[in-house]
Amino acid sequence: MILYDFEYERPGSLKEATALLNETGGDAQLLAGGTDLMPNMRVEVVTPSLLVSVSGIEPAAPEKCADGSIRIDSLTKLSDLVDAELIQNELPMLAEAAHTVASNQVRVMGTLGGNLCQETRCLYYNQKHDYQFVEPCYKRGGDCCYPFPGNDRDVCWAVYMSDIAPVLIALDAKLEILGPDGTREIAMADLYTGDGMNPFTLGTAEIIQAIFVPPVPERFGWGYHKTTVRGGLDFGTAIIVIVLQLAEDGETCCWAKIVYSAVGQGPLRPTTTELSMEDAVLDPALIAVAASQEISPLPHHGFNKGFLRENIRVYTERTLVSAIECAQGKI
Amino acid sequence: MNQINDRTTVNGKKSRSRVLEMSINGEAHEITVKPRVMLLEAIREKIGLTGTKDGCESGTCGACTVLVDGQPTLSCITLAVECEGKNIRTVEDLADGENLNYLQEAFLDQGGTQCGFCTPGMLMSATALLEKNPKPTRDDINKALEGNLCRCTGYNSIVDSILQVSDQGVKPRLL
Ligand SMILES: Cc1cc2nc3c(=O)[nH]c(=O)nc-3n(C[C@H](O)[C@H](O)[C@H](O)COP(=O)(O)OP(=O)(O)OC[C@H]3O[C@@H](n4cnc5c(N)ncnc54)[C@H](O)[C@@H]3O)c2cc1C
Ligand code: SF4
Ligand code: FES
Ligand code: FES
Repeated sequence: MILYDFEYERPGSLKEATALLNETGGDAQLLAGGTDLMPNMRVEVVTPSLLVSVSGIEPAAPEKCADGSIRIDSLTKLSDLVDAELIQNELPMLAEAAHTVASNQVRVMGTLGGNLCQETRCLYYNQKHDYQFVEPCYKRGGDCCYPFPGNDRDVCWAVYMSDIAPVLIALDAKLEILGPDGTREIAMADLYTGDGMNPFTLGTAEIIQAIFVPPVPERFGWGYHKTTVRGGLDFGTAIIVIVLQLAEDGETCCWAKIVYSAVGQGPLRPTTTELSMEDAVLDPALIAVAASQEISPLPHHGFNKGFLRENIRVYTERTLVSAIECAQGKI
Repeated sequence: MNQINDRTTVNGKKSRSRVLEMSINGEAHEITVKPRVMLLEAIREKIGLTGTKDGCESGTCGACTVLVDGQPTLSCITLAVECEGKNIRTVEDLADGENLNYLQEAFLDQGGTQCGFCTPGMLMSATALLEKNPKPTRDDINKALEGNLCRCTGYNSIVDSILQVSDQGVKPRLL
């Protein structure tokens, strides 16, 4: 049971949903699968007075558009994303990332849109406060930060742990966003503010309606790695995504992208290292060192900065090797 | 953010209860709930079926797993109002009176249940798996039961139970 009363609406379309969110202002929240929102409402990390449920709206199946890009409805359940043949064939990295999220039940219930807009997490924030601490932290409007007592009051170091967002950033996906005044399109990377207090750039009544993933070029390679403590039903310790395109010689890298998740307030990219990979024959060991030094991972859930940096170095190297082999057609 | 001043009103008004119709284990039920009531409490307290267990209340342990329209669902993080008109199956649906079904028998044969707290959730996750895939491999079973935690059995006997019932060469243990 959620320990306070709120209202509930179940509109028949996303248009009606944004209208309802708009009427109520910041106090209303969209309810998709609820696998992130419900636990957070149970512990009163978020306390909306109105839930606008999308469970009365049937998502469209993923489809290929005329320009070759793939349109994915934001309400698509993660398990349907994993099972969709189009996704398995054309975007295997996306299917793999969705397959690593949480457990079978959470994948059956949780949606892609909810995965991208999940709250950030820290050891304090996502716990039941009644029996743990009395005072709320900065992010909850209070006067302290438990894991990082030295932080300024406008700084929150809760981390963003989506397994899927880094993949969509690497694939240059676009988001179609529906608001009270119609739709707008943004690049996936522009969804994030990089500020833990308020991680998303969406307005209060805005809803992600669809995700468009452009086709990948020739000699494209990818690698995905999620470190976890238990191997199943676990948020990532560090998540690493690498994509690249090789030149015709099968050796020179034309361009590459490296995206990290779970180690910052939003997804992180080592942009200088990425630039150094353009038109170069890659040495994975050196690139891994450069990338792990360039980003500054946030300590989280008991993992300190040094550990995370070393983890990122080791797995950036291995993931890059498999991305290169993938582009060479070896795997 | 909405500051909660009074826990039983929303912006000064009493929140509305709803009358829901849903089918539970093939029987039509009508229940009246506030939006804040979870499916888990509706099943245990309103309907009175206490087979479904309340473990972590945060989506991590799987003890509360029920089937909603055939899909394994965590009833502790699903609002009852979200299940209006849905077809729900709980662990009580498996046995026929006093007679356990083959899956339940296999759990007994293999020692797949000890204290029994995780068992209703395990059985429902396994039922969903077997309905989708009648001959799952060990890997398929591990992946399907990833969200069901067990503190007693060490999992192997649970996986063996499912291999036994799907007729894949695992024989009942002699107890
Ligand atoms: C035990 C457990 C383990 C988990 N493990 C992982 C994990 O390993 N990796 C991972 O990435 N996640 C994990 N999660 C988090 C979460 O369950 C998933 O990310 C899931 O995909 C969230 O989707 P949802 O539809 O349930 O979101 P909801 O809970 O319905 O929504 C989450 C937030 O997004 C907003 N929202 C939802 N849809 C939209 C939309 N279309 N447009 C705008 N805003 C929207 C909601 O208002 C809400 O604020 C885990 C959760 C649990 C309970
Ligand atoms: S890191 Fe952020 S969420 Fe965690 S206690 Fe500090 S302010 Fe709160
Ligand atoms: S009680 Fe629902 S997952 Fe633990
Ligand atoms: S049998 Fe005791 S928790 Fe599984």
